[in-house]
Amino acid sequence: PYRAVQVEILDAKTREKLCFLDKVEPQATIAEIKNLFTKTHPQWYPARQSLRLDPKGKSLKDEDVLQKLPVGTTATLYFRDLGAQISWVTVFLTEYAGPLFIYLLFYFRVPFIYGHKYDFTSSRHTVVHLACICHSFHYIKRLLETLFVHRFSHGTMPLRNIFKNCTYYWGFAAWMAYYINHPLYTPPTYGAQQVKLALAIFVICQLGNFSIHMALRDLRPAGSKTRKIPYPTKNPFTWLFLLVSCPNYTYEVGSWIGFAIMTQCLPVALFSLVGFTQMTIWAKGKHRSYLKEFRDYPPLRMPIIPFLL
Amino acid sequence: MAAAAATAASKGNGGGGGRAGAGEASSSRKKKGPGPLATAYLVIYNVVMTAGWLVIAVGLVRAYLAKGSYHSLYYSIEKPLKFFQTGALLEILHCAIGIVPSSVVLTSFQVMSRVFLIWAVTHSVKEVQSEDSVLLFVIAWTITEIIRYSFYTFSLLNHLPYLIKWARYTLFIVLYPMGVSGELLTIYAALPFVRQAGLYSISLPNKYNFSFDYYAFLILIMISYIPIFPQLYFHMIHQRRKILSHTEEHKKFE
Repeated sequence: PYRAVQVEILDAKTREKLCFLDKVEPQATIAEIKNLFTKTHPQWYPARQSLRLDPKGKSLKDEDVLQKLPVGTTATLYFRDLGAQISWVTVFLTEYAGPLFIYLLFYFRVPFIYGHKYDFTSSRHTVVHLACICHSFHYIKRLLETLFVHRFSHGTMPLRNIFKNCTYYWGFAAWMAYYINHPLYTPPTYGAQQVKLALAIFVICQLGNFSIHMALRDLRPAGSKTRKIPYPTKNPFTWLFLLVSCPNYTYEVGSWIGFAIMTQCLPVALFSLVGFTQMTIWAKGKHRSYLKEFRDYPPLRMPIIPFLL
Repeated sequence: MAAAAATAASKGNGGGGGRAGAGEASSSRKKKGPGPLATAYLVIYNVVMTAGWLVIAVGLVRAYLAKGSYHSLYYSIEKPLKFFQTGALLEILHCAIGIVPSSVVLTSFQVMSRVFLIWAVTHSVKEVQSEDSVLLFVIAWTITEIIRYSFYTFSLLNHLPYLIKWARYTLFIVLYPMGVSGELLTIYAALPFVRQAGLYSISLPNKYNFSFDYYAFLILIMISYIPIFPQLYFHMIHQRRKILSHTEEHKKFE
């Protein structure tokens, strides 16, 4: 029998009654409730809303259906404001466009960076030109992947993240670009051999990273938020899945190590180290989620470095 | 700021243990503290640190009386100052292994800023050691630390005299700005000598394609006091209001 449900939404901190929804369908999803709530409180758009059954409990998911939740004929939901939100796509595009552009400012030796006699001059070292190509390629690849490859499970993140993230990416890009494109830049100690080896590492890791991104995309149909265990495919670069949960991070670290060897620049090495630290934290988290969610998760796999970490 | 940060304790700081301030004021839920062995260790640690800073305090007074002036007293307490302030690095470890419920990041920041001033500024730039600004921050730190470590000692033993709690949350009002002034003036005094000697600086070209200008770095440090000091200071003021007013009601039960 059809039974309409009533929903009341209370503020999680003050318990103030914010909204009362009459005649809600039992099959309504949390996403639909959020939309109804926005109508009465337009400043709290759905992405900013955290609705939960318990004021201190976990957020309910958008896909959760009202009648499947432990509520009576009147459902009491608690609301928490997550703060201004920004879409992941926007954040990624801004984060990655910055380094692309900033590096080029240093590469072309735009005025006021180095002494005036160097304005718009070009380096005489081949490796400097190569480094520019690699760095630019890396960020163009990231921008294209953001637009065409990645399937995000969350739509948004808190607004303050964009300032934090851009400071990190843009800051480091400027710092390393300054030295690589400096008129007093010293090319690698072992010359062309070192550069060739480093370039090989970089290219292989970029291809690897891209392969993993494609494999992960194929795991999840468009518009869905499903999660599955990733497995190696016919592409040899994906065979790293046999040994690690997050080979995309493994390849990313590898790319930057390659770039560091190529440029023999300490700031690049430091950037690689910081990135590695952060990616290890993410990989461990992802690995733990996989283990929690999937009973049959392959036991040989480590989070980011085969056999070690 | 090293002075400010260390006093700013309450919620954030891990000095030697106990429920650093905010605990006894607000929590209605019981938090499980460190085990008996850890508690014994922490009590010893805090007692030793209290004693150490008392030694520094006494050393300052004796040197003042002997010399008849307050100039260049740094030399008389240089060794215990270095020893006990550097020893505070253990507090980072305490947070990391969980016997002290404070943030590793916050504690690291606080201790490192102190250690930086002691070693990378005062020790490294000898010309600055006779400056009066050094005395300013040493006195601020000494009083602050004696109170802070005794606060932790008593908290761990569940026997905190109101006087100590009051002192910790009141004296900072003067000691903070005093310490910060001493620190800033000392760094400022060190600048010309750093520039002249090219201290801790690397310039291009070199094979690691890296450069570091310690002079510029010190200036950045000084600038960072501008956003950081007010935040820490007002946080302490806020904590003070919370903890000292709360205690008026609880005092009967102590």
